[in-house]
Amino acid sequence: MSRTFSTLVRACFAAAILVAAAASAEAQSTTGTVTMSATVSKFVEINSGGAVTLSGNSGGGVTTDGTAGQPLAVSINLGELGPSNTNSFVTANVPLRIRSNAGYVLSVSATVSSSGTTANKISAADVGFGLGAVSRTGTGVNTSGTDTNATAGDPTLAANGSVNGTTGRYEFTATRSNLSAFSTSTTALSGSYVMNAVPRSNGNGLNVPAMFAIKPQFFENGSTTINVTFTVTAP
Amino acid sequence: MLTNSRNRFVLLLSCLLLICAAAREARAQGGQSFDISSGGQPTITGGLGASVAGSASPLNNLAVTINFGEVSAANANSVVKVVVPVAVRSRNPYKVTVSVTGSSNVDPRAIQLTDIGFGVSNMRPLGGKAQICNSSSHLFYSPFNNDPSTSFTLNASGRVAYTSDLADVGSATTILSGPKLTQGTGSSRRDDDAWVFDAVFVITPQFFAPGTASATLTFQISSGPNVQC
Repeated sequence: MSRTFSTLVRACFAAAILVAAAASAEAQSTTGTVTMSATVSKFVEINSGGAVTLSGNSGGGVTTDGTAGQPLAVSINLGELGPSNTNSFVTANVPLRIRSNAGYVLSVSATVSSSGTTANKISAADVGFGLGAVSRTGTGVNTSGTDTNATAGDPTLAANGSVNGTTGRYEFTATRSNLSAFSTSTTALSGSYVMNAVPRSNGNGLNVPAMFAIKPQFFENGSTTINVTFTVTAP
Repeated sequence: MLTNSRNRFVLLLSCLLLICAAAREARAQGGQSFDISSGGQPTITGGLGASVAGSASPLNNLAVTINFGEVSAANANSVVKVVVPVAVRSRNPYKVTVSVTGSSNVDPRAIQLTDIGFGVSNMRPLGGKAQICNSSSHLFYSPFNNDPSTSFTLNASGRVAYTSDLADVGSATTILSGPKLTQGTGSSRRDDDAWVFDAVFVITPQFFAPGTASATLTFQISSGPNVQC
């Protein structure tokens, strides 16, 4: 009897263990989840806004032109800047295109180096510079955005330059109207975000012309190299 | 006397265990005709600093975490796409519903639920114990029966618009239904007794307003329209 009872007890215990184990095999669920997240950082870019326009030149030409939406890498030969060029100004109009999802700042820095050795050589002050009218148009562009132009605009405007009464030299006199004001990185343009939520493949943006001008004068003969760097940031 | 007391104690304990286990088994048998789990390893493409984490085993629960990463215009890829295989099992006709929760962005330029494309497709059996039914089909419900990475357009504002997205998901939106999925009458989860479909999630990098976004999609399987196998 005690043996039978003992056997029964052990059998019961074993059965209990088996059932408990079977019940715990591969638990099921009627629900599952997918949790997702994404990040959007501030983004700005500057590219060419299109082909360069060179006028008033004698000789020279556009060596490397701009292509809308492509990286800005323009090279221009302004040609003859001595008095044999009888045009009023040699001007180069370089379209820029800015895109951003946040407020932006466009800064400009420039270096001007001439082979001449006297005060009559071409210097940064002799290169007129300004940003023209800002255009926010096209699908996907924040057309209600505002922009602040820190330059004097078209350097060839009468209000932006005149002949120095003492030296007789033509000078670009308005604030930030020539490249001497940009010897270090200086804000030229700033504004609110440019693009609404559209893909990068959308080709529109903020277009603004960078305008350069030199008045042919009796400069010291030689050659001059002008380098201008445009940098856009999203502070 | 001591031996008899010990035996009685063991017997009592065994009976208790047996009762508990039987009760649990009964609950499993009656309440778990339906099951949803991982259908395989999730994958991600087109990401910038992106990742996806989830079990590759169909024996594990469906618990996937997607980080779409950087989705501003800084990501030059055309789309960030995540494919999540989902396994489903049932001994009766079923339906799969989804619901979504997530933080909403007040700024309309920021990522919205409409900016996350969502679609389901590619229903296929997983293993020899998956039930093949000839009288009824497994049906993906419109508008979700598409791959959002290839079915999108640009709306009048130039923003990407998908055929279906997370904004189309309500409190319990049906995306799939059909006849029984699993052979037999058991209730355990196996690696050869399910059907698997792909849940596809897509974001197109755009000039969104800076910030972050998050959402959770919950899949649920339950009793569906009564259709023959």
